[in-house]
Amino acid sequence: MSVQSSSATPPAESGRYTDAQWSFAEFWRRWGSWFITIINLTCFFILWELFARSGAISPLFLPTASGMFETLYNGLTTTAPPGSVISGSILDHLGYSMMTLFTGLAIACVIGIPAGLLMGGNRAVETILSPYIWALASLPRIALVPLFILFMGFTVKMQITIIVLSAVFPIIINAWAGVKTTEKSLLSAARVFGAGKWDLYRKVVFPYTLPFIISGIQQGIGRGLIGVVIAEIFGGSRGLGYLIQRAADTFNSSLMYAVLMLLVIVSLSLINFTRWLEAYVAPWRRLDRV
Amino acid sequence: MALAKTLSAAEPGAHSAAAQPVIVANNLTIGYSLHRERKLLTALKNITLTVNKGEFVVLVGPSGCGKTTFINAIAGIVQPWEGTVEVNGQPVTGPGPDRAMVFQDYALMPWRTVESNIRMPFELKNLGLSKQEMDERVHRYLKLVDLNGFEKSFPYELSGGMKQRVGIARALVTEPDILLADEPFAAIDAMTREAMQSELERFVTQTRQTVVFITHSIDEAVMLGDRVVVISYRPGQIKEIVPVNLPRPRFDYDVKALPEYGELREHIWRLVKDEALQAARGGK
Ligand SMILES: Nc1ncnc2c1ncn2[C@@H]1O[C@H](COP(=O)(O)OP(=O)(O)O)[C@@H](O)[C@H]1O
Ligand SMILES: [Mg+2]
Repeated sequence: MSVQSSSATPPAESGRYTDAQWSFAEFWRRWGSWFITIINLTCFFILWELFARSGAISPLFLPTASGMFETLYNGLTTTAPPGSVISGSILDHLGYSMMTLFTGLAIACVIGIPAGLLMGGNRAVETILSPYIWALASLPRIALVPLFILFMGFTVKMQITIIVLSAVFPIIINAWAGVKTTEKSLLSAARVFGAGKWDLYRKVVFPYTLPFIISGIQQGIGRGLIGVVIAEIFGGSRGLGYLIQRAADTFNSSLMYAVLMLLVIVSLSLINFTRWLEAYVAPWRRLDRV
Repeated sequence: MALAKTLSAAEPGAHSAAAQPVIVANNLTIGYSLHRERKLLTALKNITLTVNKGEFVVLVGPSGCGKTTFINAIAGIVQPWEGTVEVNGQPVTGPGPDRAMVFQDYALMPWRTVESNIRMPFELKNLGLSKQEMDERVHRYLKLVDLNGFEKSFPYELSGGMKQRVGIARALVTEPDILLADEPFAAIDAMTREAMQSELERFVTQTRQTVVFITHSIDEAVMLGDRVVVISYRPGQIKEIVPVNLPRPRFDYDVKALPEYGELREHIWRLVKDEALQAARGGK
């Protein structure tokens, strides 16, 4: 179909892409929302600071914003000496919680991805497993915490079990849905061009399902983080959840708020990372949504 | 209607002197089981059709009459209930490198670049080509469909017409004997469509590839087909086979100005309209 004159779009020439001209409108379109967010947050913390200093609320419940940031900064830049109970060692506890979280997430992926793919690909496996998956997925996981404490005590194993259980279901369900919704025409095309069953999985179903799996992991991270904090609040002697519990016990409100702040930051960073990952592995999906 | 009578009397393939059958469908009946309604649906019934080497056969008929089912049976991805399809004398048991398909919704892998999509048939089927031969073919067909410069683009970055040209290149790259096309130009704008029809006609005339082509457009059917097969609604049966003896290449001769063109168009339109009305009333 080598018609030059009548083709809808000209073939690529070197001048097909040009750099956008600098203009304020363009600059604002790209960076404006960041700018507004920074001003917005600055105002929020200034108001908080003023409000806390006015003495309307006891510092036991609401620390000043500057106090919270100071605690956070000190806690992240200093490492606690071994054996010290809490003061100023947020970094250690953060590291501990993240280790448990990532171990749990890794296990959840190792179990959840193949399980979801198998359920999507095999009627028998799907029929047998789906009642259990739905039952466990709909059960509030906190309800299981006392049971696991009974089984395993206040151990890392208990905490990781809770994280795995929190994170594995969104991963399974998303992977399963990805396989199920794989476009029929893509499967037909691959078959017409000679794909066997294994090729269909490897070259069509899996790449199609990959972005689903990533959004499953994204949900898994959110749930897993809740799992970590809950497991640590219930029991244990390390981690951000434990730190919150300690801060409450010792009326250390600036530590409490510093840890909450840190949880927000960690959670947002992880979620943004998976969003970026999703857009990176599946740019076509992002464009479809626009 | 005198013309129509004489035309419908003509035997399949009678216009070609040394007819060499490539696709033979014999008393083909195909259906689906509808799980939800606990019923069996007969999509196609008693289809007998012979397509000869180098022939361009167009299937028309109302939506849901079984055109896609028929072409899928030739491709080997749908199994018949009764009857057989033979390709080059062998009964079809599955897909093969002698057949390739162009899809209405392009069916390109969105995670693969243009080049990688066109190369995909080679990954799925070993045709005994060397790496150089494969590279050479991929680039030859990329060029043929006028997409050089877009090798590294992804399908979502292309217009509908360009996507379909990728689909065509992917089908041609294995150099199949038989090209199956399921409404390939239906989703493409009129200007691009005409250019692509004309190029397709020129290409398959040159290569003597056998084509089975589905369309909803009667103009497209008359412009491209050596024979137009009109299929009736539910169960899909061959209602009439209309030979189109217009000079080729048709886009160069301006056949649309010929009186025969108008008559054929009118005749096929009437046949399809009757069936479409049946379909709209909910079948027979
Ligand atoms: N996979 C399927 N399962 C059940 N019914 C199907 C399936 N594919 C097609 N059909 C039915 O078979 C009939 C013919 O379909 P199709 O061959 O796609 O028609 P056409 O391409 O002519 O529009 C339709 O009634 C359709 O609903
Ligand atoms: Mg169809």
